[in-house]
Amino acid sequence: MKNIHNIILSFVLLTGLVACDTFLDVNSNPNSPIAENLPLSAKLPGALVSTVNQESLQLNSMGAFWAGYWGTNNEGINQFFDLKTYNGLNIRSQREGIPVWENGFNNILFFKLIEEEALESGQFFYSGVSKIMQGWLFLRLVDVYNNIPFDEAAQGNNILNPKYEAGQEVYKKSLELISLGIEEVKMSGILPQTHGDILFEGDKELWAKFGNTVKLRALVRQSQQGDHAYIQNEILKISNEGSGFLDIGESATVNPGYLNTAGKLNPFWAAYYRDVQGNTLLNYQIIRPTTFLLEQYSRLQDPRISQLYLPVNGSYKGVLFGNMDGGNAQYDRDSTSAFLGPVENGGQATGLFHNWNQSSMMLSDFESLFLQAEASHRGWIQSDTETLYKNAIAQSFDYLKVPIEKLEEYYSQQTVSLASANEPLRNIILQKWLALNSINSFEAWSDFRRLGIPEIPGTVASGVTGRPQRLMYPETEIGTNNQQVQAQGSDDMTRGKIWWMP
Amino acid sequence: MKKIVLIVCVLFASTQTNAQHFHASGTVIEDYSKNPLPGATIQIKDRPTTAVTDQDGKFRMYANPGDVLIIRFIGFLSKEVIVPEAEEELIIYLKENATLLSEVEVVGALGISRSAKELGSSSKIVESEELNQGKVVNPIFGLSGKVAGLRINMYDSKVDPAAQVVLRGNRSLQRSSGIDGRNPNEPIYVVDGVPIPDISRLNPNDIESITVLKGANAAALYGSEGVNGALMITTKRGTKGKGQVRVSNTTTFSNVYLLPEAQTVYGQGNNGVYSPVTFESWGPAFDGSMQPFGTPLPDGTQPMVLFAAPERDNRLNLFQQGLNLQNDVSFSGGDDISTYFLSAQHVRQTGIIPDDKNERVNLRFNGSRNFGKLRTSYNINFINNRKDVTPDGPWISAYRFPANFDYDLIRNWQDPNSPGNPNNYFIPNGSWLRNPYFLIDNIRQTNQQQILNGKIEFSYQVTPWMEILYRAGMYASMDEIRNTTNKYEAPGTRNTPGSVNDQSLTYRRFNSDLIMSIKKDIGTVSNRLLIGHNLRTDYRKQHNVAATNLLYTDIFNQSSRVGELTGGSSLSEQRSLAVYAEYVAGYKDLLYLTFTGRNDWISTLSKENRSFFYPGISASFIASEAIPAIRQQRKISYTKLYASWNKTGNVTLSPYQLNNPYSQLNGFPFGNTVGFLPGLTNPNPGILPEFVTSYELGLQVGLFNHRLYLDAAYVYTDSDGQISNANVSRATGYNAMLVNSGRVTNNIIELTLSGDVVRNMEWTWNMGFNFTYTNNMVRELYGGADFRQNFRQSYAFVGHQFPTLWVSDYQRDPQGRVVVDAETGDPLVAEENVILGPMVPPYIFGLSTQVNYKGFTLAAQFESRLGGWFYSETVPPMYEFGTHPITAQYGREAFVWPNSVIEVSPGEYVENTELLTSGGGKEFWTRQGAVQSNTAAKADFFKLRELNLSYSLPPAVVDRMGFLSEASLGLVATNLFIIRHKDNNIGDPEYLYNNTDGYYSFRQLPPMRTYGMTFLASF
Repeated sequence: MKNIHNIILSFVLLTGLVACDTFLDVNSNPNSPIAENLPLSAKLPGALVSTVNQESLQLNSMGAFWAGYWGTNNEGINQFFDLKTYNGLNIRSQREGIPVWENGFNNILFFKLIEEEALESGQFFYSGVSKIMQGWLFLRLVDVYNNIPFDEAAQGNNILNPKYEAGQEVYKKSLELISLGIEEVKMSGILPQTHGDILFEGDKELWAKFGNTVKLRALVRQSQQGDHAYIQNEILKISNEGSGFLDIGESATVNPGYLNTAGKLNPFWAAYYRDVQGNTLLNYQIIRPTTFLLEQYSRLQDPRISQLYLPVNGSYKGVLFGNMDGGNAQYDRDSTSAFLGPVENGGQATGLFHNWNQSSMMLSDFESLFLQAEASHRGWIQSDTETLYKNAIAQSFDYLKVPIEKLEEYYSQQTVSLASANEPLRNIILQKWLALNSINSFEAWSDFRRLGIPEIPGTVASGVTGRPQRLMYPETEIGTNNQQVQAQGSDDMTRGKIWWMP
Repeated sequence: MKKIVLIVCVLFASTQTNAQHFHASGTVIEDYSKNPLPGATIQIKDRPTTAVTDQDGKFRMYANPGDVLIIRFIGFLSKEVIVPEAEEELIIYLKENATLLSEVEVVGALGISRSAKELGSSSKIVESEELNQGKVVNPIFGLSGKVAGLRINMYDSKVDPAAQVVLRGNRSLQRSSGIDGRNPNEPIYVVDGVPIPDISRLNPNDIESITVLKGANAAALYGSEGVNGALMITTKRGTKGKGQVRVSNTTTFSNVYLLPEAQTVYGQGNNGVYSPVTFESWGPAFDGSMQPFGTPLPDGTQPMVLFAAPERDNRLNLFQQGLNLQNDVSFSGGDDISTYFLSAQHVRQTGIIPDDKNERVNLRFNGSRNFGKLRTSYNINFINNRKDVTPDGPWISAYRFPANFDYDLIRNWQDPNSPGNPNNYFIPNGSWLRNPYFLIDNIRQTNQQQILNGKIEFSYQVTPWMEILYRAGMYASMDEIRNTTNKYEAPGTRNTPGSVNDQSLTYRRFNSDLIMSIKKDIGTVSNRLLIGHNLRTDYRKQHNVAATNLLYTDIFNQSSRVGELTGGSSLSEQRSLAVYAEYVAGYKDLLYLTFTGRNDWISTLSKENRSFFYPGISASFIASEAIPAIRQQRKISYTKLYASWNKTGNVTLSPYQLNNPYSQLNGFPFGNTVGFLPGLTNPNPGILPEFVTSYELGLQVGLFNHRLYLDAAYVYTDSDGQISNANVSRATGYNAMLVNSGRVTNNIIELTLSGDVVRNMEWTWNMGFNFTYTNNMVRELYGGADFRQNFRQSYAFVGHQFPTLWVSDYQRDPQGRVVVDAETGDPLVAEENVILGPMVPPYIFGLSTQVNYKGFTLAAQFESRLGGWFYSETVPPMYEFGTHPITAQYGREAFVWPNSVIEVSPGEYVENTELLTSGGGKEFWTRQGAVQSNTAAKADFFKLRELNLSYSLPPAVVDRMGFLSEASLGLVATNLFIIRHKDNNIGDPEYLYNNTDGYYSFRQLPPMRTYGMTFLASF
């Protein structure tokens, strides 16, 4: 019996020895770095590109359909179906929906993680920049979903069911966050050589101007709803800060150094024009300007039209937004005007397609000028409205590669110039709408929701009524934070409203 | 020469002896009850001559005095009787073998044989013959419908279809597979004691038997991986005696069937007007005229098609008849101290999609030799499988095409004047909608997989009651995968850029077990103790190099490209250690208690959490032995009751999940500019193992002299604190979090009945029936969520089965009638989705039957699954493109939506009798196709899974031939018919999109059936 004990004992000892700890220490990832391995300068570019991609692709295309710019030809009648039929249920779905909410909060997280790390290590440039960008993203999400989480957002597993706050409240808090961000950027020390700021190359003043412009955009947005004392007070804060707004030639653009390789081209180029082999993409083949848009350019004899679209037999042919009838040859692919790109323009840069490595647009100088023009027109800031307005058009011409000589003739038209306008605001917004076309289309959709300018026709798809005013809360949110979703009331896409809408 | 002499002698001898034959006759009586035993077999020892007792237990046969008769009856101890000199009536008493059921040896955990009577949980043995009834290529499919609680789904109809294996229901909410590639609800596969990740490429003819250990308890000693039960595969080995050579061939053909139903009224066009350049079926009604097809060809001719739907479904033209050829040879033998087994198999398959091919070579060497007290053995299995297929494609467009689509017209696409040439093809779109034959010829995937799998085993009998065993197993697989797209230059979207992607995937596992086992009886108590140590390492490396823009047609190398190379590599490694013990105490062969315990150390957990222990206990009680009253019931021959409780630790983590990896996305790096983003699954360094608690109660009864067996089990499992990637509100910033959360319970009832309906001289008819009811329920989700998405329309809902189908549906009044818009007349879509039901069938029935008549055997395996739903992505495009039957039902005009109502004031509905819909064309039906309830169907089915008719040469004939010891010829078929729910016009609900449940992808091929013949001879 003793024998057995000995054997069992030695067996257990043997196995115990083999169970040595180091044998199991094989769980550090050989494939990817983790947060601790990377400096902030390696993280900021990722977050900026992710944000500008959401802006120039996802939000831009949604805006372009709903702001009256884009429709599809006969070949594309099966594409963008949900956008053309205002199908809120599908747009919110996880499978085929448009994840504005998801991408937005992911982007907020990217900046939040940078902010936290930067504050811990006292790198205030990064924390400031992150605050400004979070402000930008929160404002965007309010413009799409109205009430959203702010204080409890992007806290990881600390807060699993972030509480929603009123859209107006989030607007206020976002402006404060941006103000704080500007302060932190200004108080930060010397940046390292490799700073990763692919938006402003480490230029702190431009960051401050950018922050102020985003704030101005948010204030202008509240023109129909806001508390005017609040607006005035915020304007005052901006002017006290002193950096001003993004000026001529100070567009906020992101360029990480696009390469002529699949997956590394400018994303707008690669999504709406040509792939790396130079083949046109499906989107290019099916997306067409609406007849309404072309009418506006023609009515104003706008020279920009020839930089934007390819004429068919000498004239510009559009489509009806939401047209589901594939049988009308008038809207065939070859009978309608496609985007004009360099290949169709003798190799010369065109309005939207300069080059495969063109910068991605976050916020253009002409938008900043239009915003200032409107604020000035409203008497919020002391400036010359007409100059701002004209400069804005000039910068739009500049961006779209329209020779500046054409400006005077264009501007001399009564329908364009501000001086002779009965309703100057209408001109400002119309011109802003024409300038934002396919660049920051989301802003144009927001202006339309705010002011109803211009009179964009709705979808011609039968059985569809109303206009899209917002997106429904996404299915992912209903599945994980339903109590909050339910507490917000109806989120119907055509009946619900964002707080700043009249 | 010698052989011929021998045969002559045998023949001579048999005629000689015939003359002296006289009758042996008698009665076989059951010893306990003294009742006659009908159906007992009497065989003359070493001769093929047999007889069977009649209704009164009587038999009569030719025999020679002095011959030894062996009397056998299942459930009884066999008996030998010498034929007396004088012809006299024999009375033979057969003693019941009360513990017969328990005498069955099952392959228990660690590959150690155990007597079934000890087991405190349910198990089922599938023998080689039953497994190979349908002559399947993948042994997993041979188990389908044969084991209660085991659900096997064949995914698709490609040349090498994959399988989903779920034992006793879904338990884990996690979808991602571990380092070995098994999904978290899959059982562990153990081949000759060594756990391996996959058995789908084993040669089914090498398998002696598969023991299905169903409970977590039965596999407790496997720890983590055995939590879903185990499939214990025992491969063949040589046996002592004359060597045996077996040769067999199976040739079967496969054919596609059950295509989704399509309308045959309207042809291509838009708004009722014919168009030669659209594939959509929104044109006019077929009228038998000739119509142009596509635009004129470069040579100026205009291809024409007959504008009429043919009698035979044109889509069938896309498919071909597949061929499966299996050739097998095996050699086995042995002597007192050694055994030998060598087998080779060659499988060649061509698919139902043209050009799909698969070829497999399978070699196995099993051997053993004893050196006194030391027993040594080895197994080596080498598999080479080469697959060449078109990855997706051809079918995806076919169900979108009009009924008169002429496949022959586009077959010769290489011809610049063919309408199928990419420059001319009527769909100018470089997607899946390219010419199916172009896709077949130009987009290929080849996968060469080599698997080397083996073990060595030493066992040493230290003392008569103690044995030490060491077993080391290795499994290595290497996949070389090449995806190619042949460049074809054409204008615009007609262009197909060339690409090549070479991938290799290496996986290695080393598994070692050191086991000491002690057996000692103390008085009336038998004791068995097993102590073991396990070490395992898993290693996986994947890398690929790709070029997405090749320069030349037909030249596939990464150097002939423009642009950058792409690719990457990924390595992962996982290690584990364990010690375990099992103690079995038996009292007088009627009560057994088993205790198990195991401690695991797993590298994927943090240092603090990586060690965990879990215990189990089970009992088995042979009531018929213990309580004489039961045995005295003549009808009851055997009764066993068993129960078990187990807690099993489980870790479904892959390596490196404790930290958040940063990666460069969105095109980064751009030259020198780097940009990293964190992963969007919030990692959790504190993750713990999950524990599954399971209870099982069971009963095994043998009735009516063992003519009927009943095995019933009730199982309850509770999986709490599941390791899962829980979806979280995206407002947290993350998409998911790795958590210990979520609870799923399973209530399972399993019933197995098998018995002989007829058993007499000439006929035996055996029937088997199994039934499983699985009620699994999600009890809790992370963060108190009510539901979470599992996969697309598949969800986990608290209080419902997992997964549940949740879809959009029409607005309905309280009576369920569809509410239409009071203005447009169109059905309204409800704001809230509806739950349709579970996506796995809660009820599964298996029915097997086997009839033997002389040398003929007819065997059939039926299976039915009821109560589930499935969702199909093939349906919405059929609505959109006008091929779905419903799009033709109302003449393409506005119509009154059937059984609809109008809401006149809130909550008040009136029947809609005249308000027409806004239309009946494409726009209208596309919108209906987006209503997901139109896309789902009940998944109920009943199918004949396998049918086998075979004839074995009678032993006497075989015997006379001398050199042959066995020969048979048979016809085999699978999936000969299926009966579906009446609402299912989509396809076979068993089919799955990858490893989902109840989800039919838009790329899902229709099912196939096979039929053919098989031949076997052994020498």
